[in-house]
Amino acid sequence: MTRIAAAALAMVMALAQAQAQKPGAEAHLGKGSQLMKQQLFDEAAGEFEKALEITPEDPQARFQHAVCLFALGRNDEARTEFERVRNGRGESHYITYYLGQLDLLSNDYASAIKRLSEVAEDPAFPDAPFHLGSAYISSGDVENGIRWLERAVKLQPNDYRVHYRLARAYSTAGRQPDAGREYGIYTRLLREHKGTETQVRDCSDALRARPLADAQVVCHRMFDPNDPEKLTLLGQLYGDGGAFEQALDPLQRAAQLDPNSYEAWHNLGLTYFRLQRYKDARVPLEKAVALHPETYDSVVMLGATLYMLGDDAAALPVLEHAHRLNPGDAQTEAVVKKLRAEFTKK
Amino acid sequence: MASRGVRPQPRGKPSGLPFHAHFTDVATHAGLRAPVIYGPKDRMDYILESMGCGVAFLDYDNDGWLDIFVLSGTRREGPVEGATNRLYKNNRDGTFTDVTAKAGLVQQGWAFGVTVGDYNNDGFEDLFISGWPQDILYRNNGNGTFTDVTKEAGLLHAGSRWGTGCTWVDYDRDGHLDLFVSHYLVFDFDKIPPAGKNPNCDFKGVPVNCGPRGLVGERPTLYHNNGDGTFTDVTEHSGIGAVPPAYGLTAVAADMDGDGWQEIYVACDSTPSQLFHHRGDGKFDEVGLESGLAVNQDGREQAGMGIAIGDFDTDGMLDVLKTHFSEDTVTLYRNTGHLNFDDVTLRAGLGVETRFVSWGDGIADLDNDGLPDIFWVTGSTFPEVERKHPEFPHKTPRVLFRNLGGGRFEELLEGAGEAIAEVHASRGLAFGDFDNDGDMDILIMNINEPPSLLRNDVSGSAHWLKVKLVGTHSNKSAIGAVVTAVYGGRRQSQAVMASSGYLSCNDRRLHFGLGAVATADLEIAWPNGGRETLKGLPADRLITVKEGAGVVGEERFGR
Repeated sequence: MTRIAAAALAMVMALAQAQAQKPGAEAHLGKGSQLMKQQLFDEAAGEFEKALEITPEDPQARFQHAVCLFALGRNDEARTEFERVRNGRGESHYITYYLGQLDLLSNDYASAIKRLSEVAEDPAFPDAPFHLGSAYISSGDVENGIRWLERAVKLQPNDYRVHYRLARAYSTAGRQPDAGREYGIYTRLLREHKGTETQVRDCSDALRARPLADAQVVCHRMFDPNDPEKLTLLGQLYGDGGAFEQALDPLQRAAQLDPNSYEAWHNLGLTYFRLQRYKDARVPLEKAVALHPETYDSVVMLGATLYMLGDDAAALPVLEHAHRLNPGDAQTEAVVKKLRAEFTKK
Repeated sequence: MASRGVRPQPRGKPSGLPFHAHFTDVATHAGLRAPVIYGPKDRMDYILESMGCGVAFLDYDNDGWLDIFVLSGTRREGPVEGATNRLYKNNRDGTFTDVTAKAGLVQQGWAFGVTVGDYNNDGFEDLFISGWPQDILYRNNGNGTFTDVTKEAGLLHAGSRWGTGCTWVDYDRDGHLDLFVSHYLVFDFDKIPPAGKNPNCDFKGVPVNCGPRGLVGERPTLYHNNGDGTFTDVTEHSGIGAVPPAYGLTAVAADMDGDGWQEIYVACDSTPSQLFHHRGDGKFDEVGLESGLAVNQDGREQAGMGIAIGDFDTDGMLDVLKTHFSEDTVTLYRNTGHLNFDDVTLRAGLGVETRFVSWGDGIADLDNDGLPDIFWVTGSTFPEVERKHPEFPHKTPRVLFRNLGGGRFEELLEGAGEAIAEVHASRGLAFGDFDNDGDMDILIMNINEPPSLLRNDVSGSAHWLKVKLVGTHSNKSAIGAVVTAVYGGRRQSQAVMASSGYLSCNDRRLHFGLGAVATADLEIAWPNGGRETLKGLPADRLITVKEGAGVVGEERFGR
């Protein structure tokens, strides 16, 4: 097998949902995480359940399972799972954050306020002030609701939903000029959001049905040099349409604007890889793996990149990690075996 | 119409409390046997065929018993025998007689909404029907017949328009009922591709009828009653025409902020719903967003279909319930005063039900316990989808939430009679006491089936009070009045309205369940601004109150 063929196959397998023959708990965890990333929470929950059958005391699997149940709206089951994790591992902000939201959904505002107050200052939960403000509003405490929603709009300035909630709170408090200002921001953001939805649809259709030059004109409408999310989306659309060269510029800009964006780094690395520019692919993929070390797609892609660059010593542990995350990837397994054999010879 | 992929809230433990209302579909026995023709039986090629129509309870002959008016559609291929709007006269024995032909109301076409009101103040209820391509005004001649006076009234509009929501509203308080008509979208069979001919028109991968998204929305129209049997289009002058085009459906009018002037609220499909606030000078401002009634609590527009106005928390202020598509919740807005409404859907426990496309709705005390309950009807718009996705059936059940008090509701999946679980593709509905036995019955339009008439048989000893208002300075139908009943520590408000549910019209008589309390006080705000208070009224009877003259009639009836 040539290096290109091996890497290409590994990449294909990375993008496919490989079926493991007898995967261990780690494999189910990896697959579950992958499915969660794709927002396939039902399927992801199934993977975590399989992991828990093998290792029932694994708090990570149980926590991820609880998050999936929460996303699926199976709130009572989610609460039970979160509480089991808490009973086993003690309090953590992550559990408090979700339990606070569950309290809010079940109209237990006093408990929601208590829990969400504990995590509202934690930067890991930028939407906690939004939920806390909503809990205060629902409990009838408009003053504190406004205080936290004002904090929320600073943390989530581009979320129309937050501005709308704050506008409604101002309306309730009789602060009409403030409400008017927030309604204005909400209206603009919602219009932009809907505009983006339309642009994505148009760009995707154009890349599928029209010559690239024409499609580029359509897709350029969503080019916003100051919006990393939109730039990443544009890059992904180009990549999905096979226009890899065109994908590079928006993804590079996105990664520069938001160095903590896993999506930007992963897609930039993926695009370089597809263009066979392995040297350029390495750094973005390393950054993506640093941000999401358990995400199989990025790990296997980085391993394949290192392998293509001839850096076998660096490639082997990365591919071994990828193989643990997804033991069903036969091509990765083959490359790992081959590298191990080579190192043994040496 | 569009779903938003909203997942239902988990259902809590059932309260186990008894529910004393029991519903039986008595339509066949009552003589309501003619199917309501509305497009093809097994598919809906065009959005026009999928929207269905309204129904009304009215007393057209003033005999004190509710008659029934059921709208109808047709089929694109041509006239269908028996397809007509139908008027059924109440025989006062649980049955009805079809008097459509005798009344001069035979009409085949695409009817959508109906509003009932005495626009010429002659003491008899007239009918306005919205439709495509034209609307119709029928004047009640007072002798059991009606005359189509659309043209002489000045209501014949140029070209084709799709009238949907319609309501009588005396917006300028001159004692004459004006007319508001909302419009859905610009429709032409020859210009809109049928299902299967446009790859962008699909639901869950199945080709379905196109729209409303991608089609051209419309603005509403306001007609001023000149007091001489004619109307003048004041859409632009009044500010009603200043709103952006939307997909308008049900329109209702009521004084929601207690300032003596009626607001007009329009449920809009896939666009923000509109609330027109009357300034008091003949002009309206659209304040949907500022009031909280345009969108849900996340700031997103929904597929607004039906509207119910009532006072679910018995705080003396009119709240709002609006129905939407499947995979979304209905939305319950609590009136907090000063024309400000909070979306309390989840808090109220209504988020558990997201399965059905929801249409006509009501906030009505079905078991007379003094707490208004919530009811709505359902039915898919895409019958073709069921074949591929059985989880999206065409015919679906009715939905009933009983009021637990404290702003909370509980869905009753059983225990309120077999008629609740029966499945139909329903649209309009009206509440009224057709058998004069002191509880609220329900009339429902079902697509390509006969209507349902759900007779309510309330058991137990709960009390009730019915109120009929007759205007003198105000319009004779008293449309626009708000009555607040004070009983057992509660203050429950209800509005006299000419439109409700989905494109439908309820019994004009207001019905208050009183629970264990045997007397109530009434505070009446008349449409022209006058106020009246009546103390210590005994329960279990219908009282008639004439503006300025107090109680002028009292009738005891019941089980």
